[in-house]
Amino acid sequence: MKAIELNEDQIDALKEFMNVSIGAATSNVAELLDAFATMHIPKIVICNSDELIAVIQSEVDPKSKYYVIKQLFSGKFGGECMFVMKNSSAKNLGNYLYHIDNPSQDDINDAVIELTNILSSTLISRLTKELGVQVQFFVPSAQIVNSEDIIYAEDIQHYSKIIIISTVLEFKDQNIDGNIYILTKDEAINSLIELIDNKLEELYS
Amino acid sequence: MEFKHCDILLDSLDNGYIILDDNFIVTYWNKWLCINTQISQEQIMGKSLKEFYPDLNYTVLQRKIKTALSLKTPSFYDPNSNTKFISINRNKVTTSSLTLMQQQVIISPYLINEKKVIISIYDISELHETKLLIQQKNDKVTELNEALEADKEIINQNIMIMRTLANGVIIDVSMLFCDFFEYEKQNIIGKSASILKIDESSKCLYEELQNIIINKEPWSGELEIKTSSDKSKWVEARISPIFDEENNLIEFNTIYYDITNKKLLEELYITDALTKLYNRAYFDEILSSITKNQRKADINFALILTDIDHFKSINDNYGHQVGDEALKAVAQTLKKALRENDVIARWGGEEFVVMLKNVTVKEAQMIAEKLRSVVENEKINDLLTCTCSFGISMYIASEKIDDTFKRADDALYEAKRSGRNKVMTKL
Repeated sequence: MKAIELNEDQIDALKEFMNVSIGAATSNVAELLDAFATMHIPKIVICNSDELIAVIQSEVDPKSKYYVIKQLFSGKFGGECMFVMKNSSAKNLGNYLYHIDNPSQDDINDAVIELTNILSSTLISRLTKELGVQVQFFVPSAQIVNSEDIIYAEDIQHYSKIIIISTVLEFKDQNIDGNIYILTKDEAINSLIELIDNKLEELYS
Repeated sequence: MEFKHCDILLDSLDNGYIILDDNFIVTYWNKWLCINTQISQEQIMGKSLKEFYPDLNYTVLQRKIKTALSLKTPSFYDPNSNTKFISINRNKVTTSSLTLMQQQVIISPYLINEKKVIISIYDISELHETKLLIQQKNDKVTELNEALEADKEIINQNIMIMRTLANGVIIDVSMLFCDFFEYEKQNIIGKSASILKIDESSKCLYEELQNIIINKEPWSGELEIKTSSDKSKWVEARISPIFDEENNLIEFNTIYYDITNKKLLEELYITDALTKLYNRAYFDEILSSITKNQRKADINFALILTDIDHFKSINDNYGHQVGDEALKAVAQTLKKALRENDVIARWGGEEFVVMLKNVTVKEAQMIAEKLRSVVENEKINDLLTCTCSFGISMYIASEKIDDTFKRADDALYEAKRSGRNKVMTKL
């Protein structure tokens, strides 16, 4: 099997597309949720699937409970967008979006799903728009888990390589933050490489 | 014409479809919704959804409509939410945990310029019910696991258990096992079970146990085992072989019970505190069992009564402490000179009784002579020597044991009378 690698040009291009996507996402969040968000410069890591757990665990507090919201997207470039946020942040988000002091579990779930949908739709739509392909989004699902249960080894054992595009979202005023991971695997990585190459060729020809 | 075609399409689908603008005015309400909500198209189309569903959170709905129109991608409601988008009764008659339809609601951009969205409502009740059922089962499993863990912890702390593979390699031990035998768990896992040192007294039993377990049978018995710091402990061990589905031996589980105190009590019950020989009560028990059962293998025995000569003068001349020392020394000298199967007990005062098993008169006399000689040659506390007189009798099958004792006592009396430090026999 051919080794899956992105060369420097491809990584630079992907970073550039992601920066544009992140700009669009912050602007959409501000407009739709009426909140000022900042997002960090994305980190792009290509790793073996078994390293994903370590990457995620390095960014969470082992003693906290987390909301994990996953949304699949399909098309030539398909994958999974995962948003991980602390219980306390999720509660603040529910509080903010539902305008109530003590949001119900349903309110919090709906709020985190809504935010994830806005973020993943914007980030992925923008990225795929740059790459000239269409994408379909599926219903997000939310779960509350202990930090060690964010990802189980058996969830990813069928994949060999994973691209992790990660960034941090912060709403300073509302005390909300979370980590966003765009995960894509094996065949989709090859499609992504092909799409980036096409785009680079188009830009430089 | 084209819109009509779209109507037919939406009406023929098995899901609910609403076309709505950002002011919540319904511009289409498909047949599925008419049937399930019993609100007809004529009733609702052109009117605000608010009139029919005033309890819906319209702030949230508006935001989701805005998101869909702005991002040109769908926005979603949480499909697991207990809050229903629109209430639709569920008519499932057989067992159901849901009385209202569980809905997956997707708001997709439709005519963006007209700020219209299409709301799709899917019935996911069956799926949700299954999910709830799995969740319930999971909760039950978690609860059982927690109870199991708690039980395991109780067992770990209160029962001595060792698990070994069929080849005797230790794979697990309980905490109490480690405390009792003074091993660190990590140092004993992976070692052979023979790391537990069996005391000499239990070696025969241990060999028997090995033979039994080779035959894959359970075994239980009392063993004297040394701890890692060489302390002697008595345990009752129960070894159970564990088999796989094809009846292959895979493991042994051994449960140990500490019976050290029970053994000490037993020993105290049968032992004379001063000389550490058996006491008279225990000797009586042995004799009573032999004479009662009259087993051929047991009834061929000789009795020897022996008494330290001039013991009173030892006490008088050297004091009672030396007298006690003399008693102890003679007792141990006699015991050492006997065979392993012979039984010796303190009969009272300075008197001892010996049962010699499977001997002829001649052999009994030879053994008694040997006993007489070793006592005579033993120096007590590097201070004094003493002698013993011996009276021998042979047990006659079915006779009363008192009669055997009477003859031995007569013979002892004769040994004393004829000058002491002698062996006499009365048949």
